[in-house]
Amino acid sequence: MKLDFVHKQSAHCECGVTSNLINHEFKKSGQTISEALTFGMGSGIFFGYLPFIRINKLPLTTFRCPVGKIFKQVTSGLGISVKWEKFRSMDKAMAALDRELEMGHAVGCRTGGYWLPYFPPSLRFHFNMHNLVVVGKEGDNYLISDPVFPDMVECPAKDLAIARFAKGALAPKGSMYRITKAPETLALEPAIRYGIKSAANAMVKNPVPFLGTRGIGFLANRLERWPRKFDTHTTHLLLGQHIRMQEEIGTGGGGFRFMYSAFLQEAAAILGEQRLVSVSTQLTESGDTWRRFAVKAARNCKGRATENDSFEAMGDTLRTCSRIETEAFKELLDIVS
Amino acid sequence: MIEDLEKELLDTIIEICDIREAIPEEMSVDTPLIGQDSLLGLDSLDAVEIVVMIQDVYGVRVQGQEQGREIINTLKTLADFIKTESRRDTIN
Repeated sequence: MKLDFVHKQSAHCECGVTSNLINHEFKKSGQTISEALTFGMGSGIFFGYLPFIRINKLPLTTFRCPVGKIFKQVTSGLGISVKWEKFRSMDKAMAALDRELEMGHAVGCRTGGYWLPYFPPSLRFHFNMHNLVVVGKEGDNYLISDPVFPDMVECPAKDLAIARFAKGALAPKGSMYRITKAPETLALEPAIRYGIKSAANAMVKNPVPFLGTRGIGFLANRLERWPRKFDTHTTHLLLGQHIRMQEEIGTGGGGFRFMYSAFLQEAAAILGEQRLVSVSTQLTESGDTWRRFAVKAARNCKGRATENDSFEAMGDTLRTCSRIETEAFKELLDIVS
Repeated sequence: MIEDLEKELLDTIIEICDIREAIPEEMSVDTPLIGQDSLLGLDSLDAVEIVVMIQDVYGVRVQGQEQGREIINTLKTLADFIKTESRRDTIN
């Protein structure tokens, strides 16, 4: 049994699952939403430097909103109802999944990506918030639309069960979800406006100094002190951790800025608001600047830094990102208010 | 056979990533560039440098991480991306 589900690859799993599930639901109407539009309507863009939250004993930096927010905000913003389920029993979770498939429903699942055998070994890491859509079952294999892969994949039932019940931080506990009710057409304009306003508020009206665009400046100041505060080994670990979070986890800092830029271009066309196009250019510039920072940091870690890659230069680059994004999100608030 | 663009890319990568060891004979356009199977010993930190280099030198931007992984998988995928994007820019 296999649903007639259109699989589309995406850069970011939550956005990909959200847009693929919604596009499946609205197949008859012919309306579709892109990954970028989903990211923007879900207010996916963010920045937070959280030195008190440790990943592998090193501070957490995030370039996006909390996991799950995009799906919830986009579906509720578009008036789409969703049924969520969690399970204690693996057997019951898999039986519930089978029942939904038999009823012809595409089912989103949260999994621990490390346990999915179709992931190449080099790309496996313990991340318990990997989203995918189960679209069928043939024999003992599930057919899966995993948005980070170019084509549909198959996964043995026992492996999917283990992935759905991966242990550790943010354990998925068999979480699954499906769309239960949707309006006849997608009303994009209000969801876009709300998504922009919510993201802009989080970025430039955030009272917490280490969040939003102020947080980027906060990181710049902290980073400049690292060489005086820590030994070289620790400093390089801190820089390396930051680059991995920026350029590897999810789509990375630069990648998310480019995705938001693409969203603003789409939003400009839908809302008929040309000012969004110029803000889109600013976000692309910010993404490029984040990558310049990552290169400087990588050169320090690799022992090939030049005088242009000093900690002061890295701090200045981050402050440039902060300035560009502050201007951009203030402009966005003006546009949608 | 390593074509001109692939050769040019390899030379640039060797320079920017400061690779001082001799390039293994089995290095081809299809061998992995980054990760544990990389014959050049390149990792994800080097990948950032390569992504920015192709934007600076060839004017093509890698947008996302997943796309990036596929693009900088091998010298061939990297060269193909540059050719495709350059052609698209010319058409537009």
